[in-house]
Amino acid sequence: MKKTKKNKDCFRINESANERILTPILPLTLTNANAYDKQLATTKVVTDCSKITLDFAEANLMDFDSYLVIFINRIRQFAKEKNVEFAISGLPSDRRNFVDLFSRKITSELPEQENNSSIGRYIENLGKKFQKMWRDSYLLIEFTGNLLIALVKMPFQMKKVRWKDFPFHFNAAGVNAVPICLLIVFLIGVIMGYQGALQLHQFGADIYNADLVGIAIARELSPLMTAILVAGRSGSAFAAEIGTMKVSEEIDALTTMGIDLYQFLVLPRVLAVTFSIPFITALADLSGIIGGLFASLTTLNITMNGFIVELGTALTYAHVFSGIIKSMLFGFLVASVGCFRGLQASGGAESVGKFTTAAVVTGVLLIVLSDSVLTFVLQVLGI
Amino acid sequence: MNSEPIIKVENVTVRYDDRTILEDVSFNINRGEIFMIVGGSGCGKSTMLRQIIGLETPVEGRIYIDGENICAARGKQKKEILKKFGVLFQSGGLFASMTLAENIAIVLETYTDISQECMAELIDMKLASVGLRGYDGFLPSEISGGMKKRAALARAMALDPMILCFDEPSSGLDPVTAASMDAIIREMNSALGTTMVVVSHDLEGVLTTAHNVIMLDKSVCGIIAQGDPRKLKAENKNPIVHSFFNRIAE
Ligand SMILES: Nc1ncnc2c1ncn2[C@@H]1O[C@H](COP(=O)(O)OP(=O)(O)O)[C@@H](O)[C@H]1O
Ligand SMILES: [Mg+2]
Repeated sequence: MKKTKKNKDCFRINESANERILTPILPLTLTNANAYDKQLATTKVVTDCSKITLDFAEANLMDFDSYLVIFINRIRQFAKEKNVEFAISGLPSDRRNFVDLFSRKITSELPEQENNSSIGRYIENLGKKFQKMWRDSYLLIEFTGNLLIALVKMPFQMKKVRWKDFPFHFNAAGVNAVPICLLIVFLIGVIMGYQGALQLHQFGADIYNADLVGIAIARELSPLMTAILVAGRSGSAFAAEIGTMKVSEEIDALTTMGIDLYQFLVLPRVLAVTFSIPFITALADLSGIIGGLFASLTTLNITMNGFIVELGTALTYAHVFSGIIKSMLFGFLVASVGCFRGLQASGGAESVGKFTTAAVVTGVLLIVLSDSVLTFVLQVLGI
Repeated sequence: MNSEPIIKVENVTVRYDDRTILEDVSFNINRGEIFMIVGGSGCGKSTMLRQIIGLETPVEGRIYIDGENICAARGKQKKEILKKFGVLFQSGGLFASMTLAENIAIVLETYTDISQECMAELIDMKLASVGLRGYDGFLPSEISGGMKKRAALARAMALDPMILCFDEPSSGLDPVTAASMDAIIREMNSALGTTMVVVSHDLEGVLTTAHNVIMLDKSVCGIIAQGDPRKLKAENKNPIVHSFFNRIAE
C-alpha cells in the first residue's frame, strides 16, 4: 500500500472519441482498496462519453480477492448514474465466475424493511421497554407463585426435593460466606462507632454509643450487609449456574423428563440460603458490636464493662430477632431472584452474563425495598 | 496453475495422554477439490481437522499447507498460513454478542485497513453470497441454525481464503437445509475455485458433493479407505466401508 502512495496510479484511463477504457494496474485486492478508492474519488472517470470499458487484458489478476467485485460494481454504478454504456473485457472465465457469484446475489432485491421515522422508532422502543418491564414483573410474580406452591407442597413431597444438594449449597452460600461477612460488618461497626462517638461526645453522652452501635448493627446494618454480600456471592452464582444449564438445554431436558424445576433446582438453593443466612447474621451482629466496642474504647472515656452493661439494657431480644428474621427474608429474596434470573437466560453465553448481573441488581433492590417496608411496619407495630 | 497438492499430510500421529487417536496418517488434498473426511463418530475426524488448521500440533508428522509446514510454524509465519484458511466450526462459533455484520467486520478490521464504506459493501456482498442479504443487523441468537451456519460461512469467506474448512456443516440441520449447505459448498467451489476440506458423516452430501474422500476408523487409528466416494460405494469390499456407504447399521 505504501508503495502506491507516491504518484503511482492504481488504474489508467485511455480516452478516445467517446469511449473511456479503464485499465487496472495494481492487483485488485483489499490491501490496495484504499489506494483505488482514493484515485476513484479524485478522478473523473466518466466525462463526455457514451461508453466505458473496464479492460482486464493487461491487468495483474494473479492476485485478486473480493475487492475485484467491489471495484467493478463501483464503475458500473458510475456508468449507471451518468447513463453511459458499460462493458467488461478481457476477464478470464474463472475470474468471471467469481465476480458473477458475488454480483448476481448482491444485485438481488433487499428484503422488505420497515422504514419508520426516528420519532416513530423512539416511541416504539419506549413501548417495547415498558412491555419488557411489564413482562418481567409478570414473570417474577409467576415465579414467586410457583415457588410458594412448591413450598406448600414440600411437606407432602419431601422425597421429591433434591436434598442431596442442600448441604452443598448451605456450605457454599452460608459457611463460606462467614469470614467476609464478619470482616465487613466488623468494619461497619468500627465506622459506626467512630461516627457515633464524635457526635455523642459533644453532649457528654459517651455511654449511649453502646445503644447506638448495638441497635443499628443488630436491627439494620448486619442483616443488610450480610444480605448484600450473599446477593453478590450466591445470587449471582445461582443465576450463572442455572443460566448455563438453561442455554445448554439441561433445563429443557429436566422439563421433558417431568422433573419439577422448583423441587430440583430452586428449593435446595433457596432453603439453603434462607436457613444459613440467620447464622451468618448472628455472628455478624457480634462482630459488628465488637467493632463498635473497639471504636468506643479507643475514642471515648468509657470502660469495656460499662459498654457491655449499657448494651445489655438497650439491646432487647426484639432488636436482635427482628434483625435475624429480616435476614431470612432477605436471603429468601436474594436466592429466589438468583434462580429466577438464571431461568430467564436464553440463547448463549452473553445472555447468562446479562442475567447474572440482573440477579445481583434486582436482589439488592429487593433487599433495600423490603427493608424500608419492614422498618415502617415494625415501627407501626411498635417492635 | 500449480499442480502440487495444496495440503500434504505426512505420517501424522495424534495422542491424547496415552490414547492414540490417529497413527501414521498420510494423505494429500489437491488444489480446488472438495475433499471430505468421513467415518464413524469418535474416529478422529475433528481431531484430524484441528491438526490441519493448526489448532493442535501432532506428536509426530508434518502437515504442509501450500508448501509450508504448519506444525513447525510459529508467530508471524503461522499467522500468514492461517490467513489462507477460513474455518467453519461445528457450532458455527459466531460471537453471540455481535451482529452478523460485526462478526464479519472483526475479521476485516484485523487483516485490512479498508474504509467503512468499502467494508459495508463487502459485508453486504458476503452475506448475499450465502443468501443472508439484509440480515446484517441480526444477532446470532435471532436466526435459525441453518442461517447461523451460513453466516459463519460468510465470515469464514471474508478474506477470500484459498482453503475453506468445515466441521460437520450439516450437523443439526434438517435434510433440506443440509442439502442447501452442500449446494453452497459446490457453488463456492466451482465459482471461486476454493479448496474445500469438509468433515462429514452425512452420506448424501458425501456422494453428491465430494470429489475425494478419506475414511477414518478407530480400528486402525487411521485411513481405511480413500478415493472417489462413488467408486468406494460401488467397489470397496471392506465391511466397515461397505456398511458406511450403503447405510447398513453395524
Ligand atoms: N482434547 C481431547 N482430549 C482427550 N481426548 C480427546 C480430545 N479431543 C478428542 N478426543 C478424543 O478423540 C477421539 C476422536 O474425537 P473427534 O475427533 O472429536 O471425533 P469425531 O470423528 O467424531 O469428530 C474421541 O474418542 C475423543 O474422545
Ligand atoms: Mg467431530
